[in-house]
Amino acid sequence: MSTPSQSRRLILDRVRSATLKLPSSEPAPVGLPRDYIRRGKLGAQDRLKLMIERLREYDADVVECAPKDLPAVIGAQLASSGRQTFVAPTGLPPDWLAAGFVWKIDRELEYSEIEETEGVVTMAFCGIADSGTIVLHHSETEGRRVLTLLPDWHLCILYASQVVETLPEYFDRCPKPPSLATYISGPSATADIEMTRIKGVHGPRFLNVILVRDEE
Amino acid sequence: MSTSYTGHPVLDPRFAPPFPTAALPVLRNPQLRKNVAHATDVIQTKRARLVAEKSDWQQLRTTAAAIRSHALDHLGDYLEEFETRCTAAGGKVHWASDAAEARAIIVELLRQEQASEVIKIKTMTSAEIQLNPAIEAAGIHAYETDLAELILQLGEDEPSHIVVPALHVNRSQVREIFARRMGLKDLPDDPKALTAAARNYLRQKFLTIPTAISGANFLIAETGSVAIVESEGNGRMCLTLPRTLITLAGIEKVLPRFSDLEVMLQLLARSATGERMSPYTSLWTGVTPGDGPERFHVVLLDNGRSPILARPTERQTLRCIRCAACLNTCPVYRQTGGHAYGSVYPGPIGAILTPQLMQMRRAQSLPYASSLCGACYDVCPVKIEIPKVLLELRSQVVNQERRSIAQFGDFMFIGMKAANMIFGGARRFRAAQWLGRLALRPFTRKDGWIHNLPSLGSKWTQTRDLRGLPDQSFRQWWAARGKEER
Repeated sequence: MSTPSQSRRLILDRVRSATLKLPSSEPAPVGLPRDYIRRGKLGAQDRLKLMIERLREYDADVVECAPKDLPAVIGAQLASSGRQTFVAPTGLPPDWLAAGFVWKIDRELEYSEIEETEGVVTMAFCGIADSGTIVLHHSETEGRRVLTLLPDWHLCILYASQVVETLPEYFDRCPKPPSLATYISGPSATADIEMTRIKGVHGPRFLNVILVRDEE
Repeated sequence: MSTSYTGHPVLDPRFAPPFPTAALPVLRNPQLRKNVAHATDVIQTKRARLVAEKSDWQQLRTTAAAIRSHALDHLGDYLEEFETRCTAAGGKVHWASDAAEARAIIVELLRQEQASEVIKIKTMTSAEIQLNPAIEAAGIHAYETDLAELILQLGEDEPSHIVVPALHVNRSQVREIFARRMGLKDLPDDPKALTAAARNYLRQKFLTIPTAISGANFLIAETGSVAIVESEGNGRMCLTLPRTLITLAGIEKVLPRFSDLEVMLQLLARSATGERMSPYTSLWTGVTPGDGPERFHVVLLDNGRSPILARPTERQTLRCIRCAACLNTCPVYRQTGGHAYGSVYPGPIGAILTPQLMQMRRAQSLPYASSLCGACYDVCPVKIEIPKVLLELRSQVVNQERRSIAQFGDFMFIGMKAANMIFGGARRFRAAQWLGRLALRPFTRKDGWIHNLPSLGSKWTQTRDLRGLPDQSFRQWWAARGKEER
């Protein structure tokens, strides 16, 4: 076995001598053909309709509400879940933490403490209607990654103004590449046994979305 | 060697038998063929529906192919850029020129962690380098956490597909494996109960085992980030909960920029599983204090990849994003399943990738494991011209044989020389037809087909029937017809 730096040089030398032998056939990234659809064509209403439709295809539960009703709707969703103990990231507005439930705020909670909770409430960075995807960049309102992983029930607050139609439109909304991101498209699932789709393997089994109609 | 689900197949191209031999047991196993046909049909139907709804599918393919080609053309620069960014973000980059070095690096990292157990996300690259046996030999137990990989690990079986590795195993077989290995006597055989059993079996391991191993779908040069696409959440568990994460990635996995994902992610899940996006796509960059592992290692693996870059037709092989759409559509794979390919990379992409990773010194029968129908190219999201590469590899195999065989003792050589002589003149051709008809008559059944030939001829008839020679040749018929009309 060669030393670490030898292998590095060996591999890079092999790669470079191989690629030099065959000059580049493709121009720089900016010059690549990009004729695919970047911007969606749907109006605002249809875009949100598509987002809801896609989420429901994944068996996600979606409700809509006006901004002023949000705390009440959160409370109603928590109550109808039949669960008691919830965890929330530090950045969530205090009036969203509905009374009558046990709340744990994620100030460096141990994994075992998060595992004991029954659900999690977070915001999102973006929603992508075309694929029904919820984007988390794991800010203080979206929570660190473990928060939306261990609890079995995830309630995500998504604002209508955060919903884009196409995946490229999400990339346009990133001021710079995120260092952490999770794209959630429906609850965890598997089709490994005879291609039968089973919901809920290791990630949350239930994904609930409140779409806040803040666009007016 | 056995390719049935009960035996332990050999997926090492150094020792695997040639494809036609390895395919025979599968072709005689109706249950296995049924399992493979069912799974590939389901994925293909879903894929076709979702691809049809994308009006810009061909444009996405064109851009994806260009992005991947560009990345390979400048691979040295992008690998160094990835290393710089990943290191700046707190990751440690290791370089492994071959499988043995990659295994040694990973085992050493596990020793430094004083690991006795490790959790793993499905990674075909780790199967390629046969990592698990090396880990076990070091006294460390590896737990596969993807449901299909868990089925294979507990069943002591090998993957037969790149995306759905246990598609050859049906529910009653899974039930038997789980019941036996997890000690669950009364486990029913419905997929929901089997999935729940896997969840329970792995839950505590996710929460307590502090070291994980993953593969990578994409490495982003611009940011030093790694992306993984998965469905079950076992990936997120392994990427998030442990103290130390080790990622093994082939050097070809680099994308130049973060925004290149806007193309690749639209293609990957639709091609692989017939979903618009897989349930979970994770992106991380080095180490993030307070979120996820404290130590992060990337092992960049060459293992036969760099020589492929030097060859004009074959370089495109490395564009592959491992979606396995070519497997599902391939008329050969759909009959034989994956084990016959004797490699963790089966199907059309395996038929071109495996022999090249072996520097064309092994797996030379794989370029012939194709009808060259071109279905693999039609579905490939990065437009790899698999039939073209197959033909190029076949010509290399023929050239090797030409150099290596003792020419005058070789029946292929003699046969080809004889054929050349026969086709060289009309009289000789007619004489050969007459002789052939005479020789084949005893073997031709009433239906006009030959089912069994002796000696050399059996090489043909052991896998397919041969049409008997008709009593009249076309020329004879044409001449006779002319006479009648006059």
